[in-house]
Formats: sequence, C-alpha cells, structure tokens
Amino acid sequence: MTKFSKVAAIAAFLSAGVSAGALHAQTAEVLHWWTSGSEQAALAEVRKVFEASGGKWVDTPIAGGGNARAAAVNRMLGGDPAAVFQFSIGQQLRELADQGLLANVDKIANEEHWDDKLPPLIVKAAKYDGEYIAAPINIHGENWMFYNKAALEKAGVDVPKSWDDFVVAAQKLKDAGIIPIGLGGQPWQERIMFNSVLLGVAGREFYADLYSTLDDDLLDSDTMRKVFETFAALKPFVDEGSPGRNWNEATSMVIKGNAAFQFMGDWAKGEIIAAGIEPGTTVGCSFAPAIDTAYIMTVDAFAFSAMDGEEATPAQAKMAHVMLEPDVQIAFNKKKGSIPARLDVPADSFDSCAQTAIKTLQDKKTHLVSTGLFGVPSAVSGAIDDSISNFWNSTDMSPQEGQAKFHQAISNAK
Amino acid sequence: MADPAQGVLQRSVAQEETQKEGRRRWRPQWTARMALIPAMMITIFCFYGFIIWTFVISLTRSRLLPVYKFTGFDQYARLFANERWWTAMQNLAIHGFLFIGGCIVFGYLLAILVDRGVKAEGLFRTVFMLPLSMSFIVTGVIWQWVMNPGLGLQEAVRALGWAGFEFNWIVRPDRSIYTLAIAGIWQQVGLCMALFLAGLRNIDPNIWKASRVDGIPVWRVYLHIITPMLRTVFFTVFILMSAIVMKAFDLVVALTGGGPGFSSDLPARFVVDHILNRQELGLGAAGAFVLLCTVIAVIAPYIYFELQKERSGRGH
Repeated sequence: MTKFSKVAAIAAFLSAGVSAGALHAQTAEVLHWWTSGSEQAALAEVRKVFEASGGKWVDTPIAGGGNARAAAVNRMLGGDPAAVFQFSIGQQLRELADQGLLANVDKIANEEHWDDKLPPLIVKAAKYDGEYIAAPINIHGENWMFYNKAALEKAGVDVPKSWDDFVVAAQKLKDAGIIPIGLGGQPWQERIMFNSVLLGVAGREFYADLYSTLDDDLLDSDTMRKVFETFAALKPFVDEGSPGRNWNEATSMVIKGNAAFQFMGDWAKGEIIAAGIEPGTTVGCSFAPAIDTAYIMTVDAFAFSAMDGEEATPAQAKMAHVMLEPDVQIAFNKKKGSIPARLDVPADSFDSCAQTAIKTLQDKKTHLVSTGLFGVPSAVSGAIDDSISNFWNSTDMSPQEGQAKFHQAISNAK
Repeated sequence: MADPAQGVLQRSVAQEETQKEGRRRWRPQWTARMALIPAMMITIFCFYGFIIWTFVISLTRSRLLPVYKFTGFDQYARLFANERWWTAMQNLAIHGFLFIGGCIVFGYLLAILVDRGVKAEGLFRTVFMLPLSMSFIVTGVIWQWVMNPGLGLQEAVRALGWAGFEFNWIVRPDRSIYTLAIAGIWQQVGLCMALFLAGLRNIDPNIWKASRVDGIPVWRVYLHIITPMLRTVFFTVFILMSAIVMKAFDLVVALTGGGPGFSSDLPARFVVDHILNRQELGLGAAGAFVLLCTVIAVIAPYIYFELQKERSGRGH
C-alpha cells in the first residue's frame, strides 16, 4: 500500500465516522409512558417540530409510569440508554445524576433564559448541582375541583368557597340523592383530595413549610389536627363503590351528574373533552375551597442520558429547545390538558380553566408543588400516600390517631 | 493379506468392545452429570446467587440504584417499624390458611362427588377446571366486578327484591382480605380436584368391596381409610398451593390493588411496590429476605416430616 492510499483510506474512514456521527447527532430515541390518545396526540406536536428542524425521532412508548421509569434506568445501567426519557423530576432523578448517568442541558437553558421563564420552584426541582438535568414540558394542577352544574342546581347549592360550606353543600346534595364526591379510592387520588383539604384549611404557607421541612412541630400542630378533622368529615359523602375505582370512572360520574364534585388534577379535562363537553361549561372547574389562592403544580419532564460526557449531545439540546419553544408549548399543552411550563406564553387560546391557572401563576406567591417536587424522597411520598389512604378507609380511626400515624410514617420513611 | 488384516480388525473391534463395556459403567452417569451442569449453574447463580445478592442489598442504604454503603440491619429496623408490612404479613397468614385450606377441602369434596359416579362427569370436570385456564389478573378483574357493591352480586340481589342484602367485603377494610381467598379458591380448586380425583382413581377397588362387606359407612371409609392413603396427594396439593400463596401478587393487584387503604396488601406486593415504584431497593430487599425466611420456617419442617415419613415407609 502506498503512502497516498493509506492516507486516503484513513481519510475515508474518518469521514465515514464523521458522517455517521452527524447522523447520530440528529437522532434521538425518546422513551415515555404517554400511550393514551390525548397524550400521544400531544407528544406528536413535539415530534412534528423536532423532525421539521432536522431531527430523527425514535419513539419508545412503554405503558405505565413505573414500568417506563424502570426501563429507562435499566437501560442506562445496561449501557444502552435512551437519549431522551420521561421521568419525574425530584429526588430520584438527582440520584441518577449523582451516579453520573445524566447529561445536563444547561447550555441551551442559559441561552434561552429558562431561569426567568419557569416557576422558581420548578427551576429548583429540575436542577442538580446548579445545572439543568431535565426539561419541564408542562404544568398540571392538582388542587382542582370539578363539578356538575346541573347537579348543584338540583340540590340548590352554590360552588362552596370554604370547607365548612362544602360540608353543608355536600349534605344537601346527599339529601337530594346525588353522590356528593365522586372519588376514585386509590391512595394517590385520596392524597390529592387530602392535599386540597390541607391547602384549604391550613393555607399555602403552611402547606409549603410542611412539605419542604417535614417539621415535627408542624406535623403535631393543632392546624394539622384541624386538617385531619376536616378530611374525616368528608368520609360520609363518598359512595360505597369508591375503593379501587379509577380516576376516569370518577370523572365520568361527575360528567353524568351521578356525582357532584371530584377533586382531581386537570388531566380530568381530557375525559370531559372526550365526552364532548367544553371544560367550564356544564362541567365546571374551580380551585378546591381554600383560605387563600394557590396552585399545586406537578410537572411532566424529560431527562437526558449521558451519551458521551456530561454535556448534552446536539440532538438532546435540540430536543430541550423544541420542548420549551412557545408554539410547541401551546400546541402540546392544549392537547394534554395542562398549561405551559413557561409562564410567558399567551393564554388566549386555552380553555377557561387553563386560563384561570395561567393567570393565577403570574403571582409567584400562589406557587406550590406536589409532595415529590419538594425534594421529598419517593419513600416519604409513598409513606404519606399509605397513611392517608389508611386513615381515609378506616372506620374507627380518630383524627388524632390519623395525625399521629401520619407523623410516624413520615419519620420512619425519612 | 486378508487374514492378518482381518485379525487386526477383529482384535480392534474386540478391544473397542471391552473398552465400551468399561465406559458403559461410568458413561451414563457422566453424561447425566454433564447434562445437569447448565441447570445446576442456573440454579446456583440465578437462585442462590441472587438470594445472597438480595441479602447483601438489604444491608445497604440503596434507594433507586444499588449502592454498597452498608448500614447494618437498618433496613430491617425500618421494615419492622412499618405498619403496612405487618398488615401484609398478617394478611399472608390469613390468606395462606384460608386459601390452602379452602382449596384442599373444596377440591377434595368435589373430587369425591365426581368420583361417586355423577352423571356427565366429563362436563363437571371441565366446568371446575375452566377457571384454571384464566390468569390471576383475569380472575381478579372478574371478581372485582362480581364483588363491586354498585355493580355486582349485591346490586343484583337487591334488584331481585331483597333490599337489605349486603355483600360489600371488597370495600370493607376489615373484610377485604377474605375476598382474595374467595377468588383464589375459585380459580385453583379445579386443579386440586383433578389431583385428588387422580388419587381416588388409584385406590384399589377391593378396599371398597371389603368395606362394603364389613358394612362400614361410606363417609367413614373416606375419612379413615381413603384419606390417609392419599397422604402424598395432600402433600403435593399443599406444596403447590403454598407456592401460589407465597408469590401471590397479581391477584391482589387486579382484585383490590391492596386496598382499601393497604388492608389487603400482601408481602410480595409490598416488596415489588417498594422496589419498583418507591425506589426503596434496600427496604424491598429486606422485605423479600424476611419473606423467604418465613417461607422456609413454615414449609421446611413439613417437607422434612413428610419426606422422612416416606423414606421410613419405603424401608418397611
């Protein structure tokens, strides 16, 4: 082989490598658990824009959040990570970052000033060591109260503004033969209702302090006692078939008017829309009764596997950019039933419930997040679910006992 | 030229034959051992290896990922302070007792009834065996509907006019664990019946003739003669059903989801929930190990006792 041909061979090899690399750079495998109709339609909006800007999207849907998270972690440990994967932001994601398994998208985030555009609590949750390890794509609210207007009219009650009013209204509804609360009796749904009561009775500052510090004095306080008493007072207003029911079945009870209220996240709007009803018309939405206005946010986010080094690959950075582009945020969130993670996106084209949420969040004092996003380990949020569900379903546990067990469960899991 | 060649050939054949004979004595054992090696390796690595690994993990503070920072028996202390764990263990005892007992009693009774020469025996056998063809998930969903107070049996009976009828165990925290046994027995009773039936068919007809001559009532023949003869079948059924109880996971998930609250939780579900959904690898591993120890403590004496008996029985 002559010297020239050697050089040519090396050059050819290198260029092949480079072009393969360039091709690779544009390809991103996306692992997610959005398999239902509205979720897929929403994600397709992101995909459309990502592909239009030259990316190649390899779709890996895995049904069920738990399964998808396990698959993402297993593939990372097995050395074949998905470039982009859906994950809950919080303690678990930090643990992955701690092991050096994640790439950060800090460069693109700084270029696009995510710090100023996302709610500060979400910025904090999405960062590890001061760098963005996830792209939050939307905000769901957990303290919504959906209600059937016709059912309320039939019983002659107004939308309650406090929990005391609620109990009075619920009794009237029950007397009129309507199930006051359509509840899906699964621990996470019971926790959503509990958190609404907590926020409503104790106020937003107490809520934030409680879940960010898990302080013993707060857990033992009289305010907390009052929360448990109010929560217990709701027990008679749920129908017998509640335990084990799925959230969407409970929503359809409200849509049909068999049940009057449901405390659920705004993903319930998807069911309402699927039933051919515009949210805010015959099925109304308002925040759960509370002494001050607040919005309990929960976030869908995508994280990025470390492919080579800590920096995101061009494809990963592009994905982060696309996910937070204002147009994508609008198109995606309208289909998903959530609101944009960016607070600077115009609200006009959203339904009235979402508009309320976007307007509320302009005031930073209203910002709250669900348990996991406060950096509480999933063991503690699990223990919280367990003890709330146990209290709710028990027929003979007093509020005092419930409070004590709640405190004990949190202490054990810490 | 042909002769010596033939001689050599014959000699070599003869040699080979004696060699073969020599080999024949040890070769079958050797091949059998060779064939068993993969199975043994799999058992050693996948079974005992992972038991040891689970134990090691249970001594660490692993959460989402395995980390080897040892904390002694902290995870066990946390496990034993966990109310849900004790509910699950208590439920395992209740469910195990009812499910295994129910399967044996009902399976045996059905087998006896079928064996008594019922008409259309094939039909009954098929009917009782059919639930077995369904997975626990399907069984769970079916019974969830049947026992749902607003949709199922309770509503149906009330619609027939018996307004006070109540069957709401699945939504009652103090009763939900019994619904697991009901659904489980319904599914597995066919298998038990088939095993008992096979045993009954193997009973020497002369025993029946002799007992008839002696004028012993049928129920006493079953109780005092046939049942002791079927000891090995009872043993088989017990072991099979115990295995199903210990790994019971899918039935709880589909039927009650562990609820209401965690009143119908079982240890297997506790372990899977903590490892996969709550990222509590260490705590889950501790639970799995305690479960294993419990199983060994309960099952091992019985197996030992039965095998011992069988061995001495064979000796006589």
